[in-house]
Amino acid sequence: MSTSAHSPRQGSHCGRILVIAVHAFTQLARMKVFYFLAIFAVLAIVSNFLDWSQLAGPEAVGVNVLRTIKSTSFGAMHLFSVVLSVVATALLLPKDAEDRTLYTILAKPVPRIDYLVGKLAGVLLLVFVSLVLMDVLMTVVLQIRTMMVAAEQETMAAAMGYTPEAIASLRADTLANGSSWALQGAVFAVFLRASIMASLALLVSTFSSSTLFTTMVSFVVYFIGHFQADARDFYLQAGQAGQGGLERAITLLVALVLPDFQLFNVIDAVIEGQALPVRMLGQLTLLGLFYAVVFTLASWFIFSDKEF
Amino acid sequence: MIGPPMAETVPAVEIRNLVKDFKTSFRRQPLRAVDGVSIRIEPGEVYGLIGPNGSGKSTTMKALLGLVAPTAGACAIFGKDSLKVDSRDDVGFLPENPYFYKHLSGAETLRFYGKLCGLGGRCLQERVDELLALVDLEAARDRRLGGYSKGMLQRIGLAQALIQEPRLVILDEPTAGVDPVGSRQIRDLIFKLRERGITVFLCSHLLEQVQEVCDQVGIIFQGRMIREGRLDDLIAIEDQTEIVLRDASPGLISQITALVENTPGTTLVRTGKPRTTLERLFLREIRAEER
Amino acid sequence: MKIWRKSVFLTSALLVFGAARLPYEAGLSREMRAAGLLPPRLAIGSRERIGQTSMAVALGGMRTLVATFLNLRAFTAFSERQWAKVEVTFDTIVDLAPRTRYYWETGSWHLAYNAASYYLHESELPPLRRREAWRTYILKGRAFLERGIRNNPGDWHLLANLGFLLADANKFPAFRDPEVSFAAAAEAYRKSAETGKANSFVPRAWLYSLARVEGREADALALARRLYAEGPRNRTPTLVCLLLVLEARENPALDGARRAVELFGSPEKAYDALANHWRRTRERFPVHGVAAALESLEKSLSIPKQESILNQPLPPPPNPDDWFQ
Repeated sequence: MSTSAHSPRQGSHCGRILVIAVHAFTQLARMKVFYFLAIFAVLAIVSNFLDWSQLAGPEAVGVNVLRTIKSTSFGAMHLFSVVLSVVATALLLPKDAEDRTLYTILAKPVPRIDYLVGKLAGVLLLVFVSLVLMDVLMTVVLQIRTMMVAAEQETMAAAMGYTPEAIASLRADTLANGSSWALQGAVFAVFLRASIMASLALLVSTFSSSTLFTTMVSFVVYFIGHFQADARDFYLQAGQAGQGGLERAITLLVALVLPDFQLFNVIDAVIEGQALPVRMLGQLTLLGLFYAVVFTLASWFIFSDKEF
Repeated sequence: MIGPPMAETVPAVEIRNLVKDFKTSFRRQPLRAVDGVSIRIEPGEVYGLIGPNGSGKSTTMKALLGLVAPTAGACAIFGKDSLKVDSRDDVGFLPENPYFYKHLSGAETLRFYGKLCGLGGRCLQERVDELLALVDLEAARDRRLGGYSKGMLQRIGLAQALIQEPRLVILDEPTAGVDPVGSRQIRDLIFKLRERGITVFLCSHLLEQVQEVCDQVGIIFQGRMIREGRLDDLIAIEDQTEIVLRDASPGLISQITALVENTPGTTLVRTGKPRTTLERLFLREIRAEER
Repeated sequence: MKIWRKSVFLTSALLVFGAARLPYEAGLSREMRAAGLLPPRLAIGSRERIGQTSMAVALGGMRTLVATFLNLRAFTAFSERQWAKVEVTFDTIVDLAPRTRYYWETGSWHLAYNAASYYLHESELPPLRRREAWRTYILKGRAFLERGIRNNPGDWHLLANLGFLLADANKFPAFRDPEVSFAAAAEAYRKSAETGKANSFVPRAWLYSLARVEGREADALALARRLYAEGPRNRTPTLVCLLLVLEARENPALDGARRAVELFGSPEKAYDALANHWRRTRERFPVHGVAAALESLEKSLSIPKQESILNQPLPPPPNPDDWFQ
């Protein structure tokens, strides 16, 4: 045993959070979550064959496939990220408490907020890495297929006597359906929604007694969160229309307590070829960050004097 | 001339009138797990807290580590309040039946806890090697904890508790569920800690073990401290004396017996062969077998 | 008691945070809707049609995915000629993915072309009912396309599709007044051309429709002259013939044959093009001065009277009365 004089060691918050985050990441990674990527790869490739175009002509050739690749990939990313965020977060805390590993960690000079933030960061790191991998895969498949479709359309259009100008405009239309920066922004929006879900699950798991309960509550909030905008609009419009009473109170409560998940449905518009302005992505990021911070602080508030 | 009082040392552990109530969902009356317990452990001592299951041992330790908040009273480690994070700078804890992360190897586990304490780089690496040697797990350093035996887990747990060179180590039932060989190894480790001047606070319901290693003992029952003091003082039977002889002839025995009978006020309680403990017998036999 | 106080504090904190973000979210939501990034609310009707399971998925930000699968369903319905199902399915699809042109195009095409021709050629219903179904589906296809245009105002494809449908010789008899539908077609093509993104056929198609609207001949002539002047790409036989016809209408004294030779380069080419134009009765193109020009050209090309195009029987104009018997 070293004989060095005892000196108080104070690791930084960031250092500890990083250690716990990396650890949570490896823990989840060794639970074989990345096998999902294989399924995703299969999906991305299979979606290539779902070509059910019902229109004739160069405009229709293959454009559906591009849309299918995008919507299937995004569907899978979305589902995976939300499920993973909720389940992994709901799993990690109770597991540590049950296995008493939590005692050994909290018996070290580790502030509880570091522990919470570390776990959350670990889950988010995993979601982020998975999304990046899926994004790369989707982009590659999409890029290859877009080029194939464009070439096919060009041949067909040329055979049908399209003018070069018409062919160029057709090509531009097709390329707009391929990979784009807006698509990357949409992947980020998927990540933002997953982060909100993870921090929400963290909050629930600090007072819930089981993983199942946490998961259920989180998903209920998730689904109702998609109606938050309706509730909010109802509240605001009912106010203008001078209606009142119980409905207003209920819709206000829903609007105040739940996050508006519909805002993140911009991904649908992006899949359909809309551009996503950087400013709006920035606003979404701000909102995601806001939720993540508020939910994490709330988790800390409950967790800080929780007894084990 | 009366010298100045010895500079007052800061106790390693100071628990003052600790009371802990737990809410029970069924009864209105909260359950009092610990009721007015006070413990003071000086640096370098080995303190054993004994008591039956459910007597409040673990709760006392958790309160000391800040894992539960006292209903009344206070706990401090080297003078620092247990509810503050910095009180944990100088303490290592081995919980009862610990499960560490199964997906980590022995060395990874130690590195993880080391980093949590702010260690890093060469310093951490050396510390890990040193501790693996100390707990005799060098051969299993890269094996995942999922494949460790109970005794090995307990030892890696002890190594984990020691990672940041704490001056106090808290062990909750360190040998529960461990076979006698493992149990012995852990006992030897506690001896080593004592040699190095590390304060040890352990609790157990295995009295023999406590008897072997502890300087100070407290007996807790139904949340109350019912007896506390130096081990030797507590267990010595003051009015008896033991003489153990080797190769004594039957003549010598009868002479001694006669001498005792002729001395007024003294009675012979018993003579006979001392028994070894079953533990010692077991250990001796398997060592012989190994040779 | 302590837990109780804690949860009250936490709940009120969450409510305060909620109140802080509410205006921000409402504003962002409005902005995104305005930018077309958020779809309009699903109508209750389509919520019912999508079904409970898909509904949850659709609301959860996977509307396009559900639309993709419904598109497969629509394809099956189309293969099985279940037109009502095709219609309902496409209604739902476009509710889910209102910005995808393909769905509007395909939906309207199924209705106005496939379903309508099915009732025209294949159905075994009595003629009167077939005719009614034929007409209904063409109108449905038009309405669907017009809805698509309202949802995608800048899309030249959809506008051009509408123009094409309204000016189609096989379709316009379904509309009450062909004049009105030609005017509507011209309007659609005009809007399409004015997006600035349309292919070059669109302005010509605009002219082809406009030339058939009574009372707009002067506008049509101006457009024809402009397009002709734009270059050889626009000088299709149809356009040049229409230019000639519109000029002849404006100036009845015009020597049609001479002008035709001037425009087409040779009497033979002029004769072929005008003869062809003369026979396009189904399309209801105007023919001012064409007969006179043809007569004069036949003389100069020494085509015998009995072979004159003017003496050949003309194809009958489109008349649904003949189609449903």
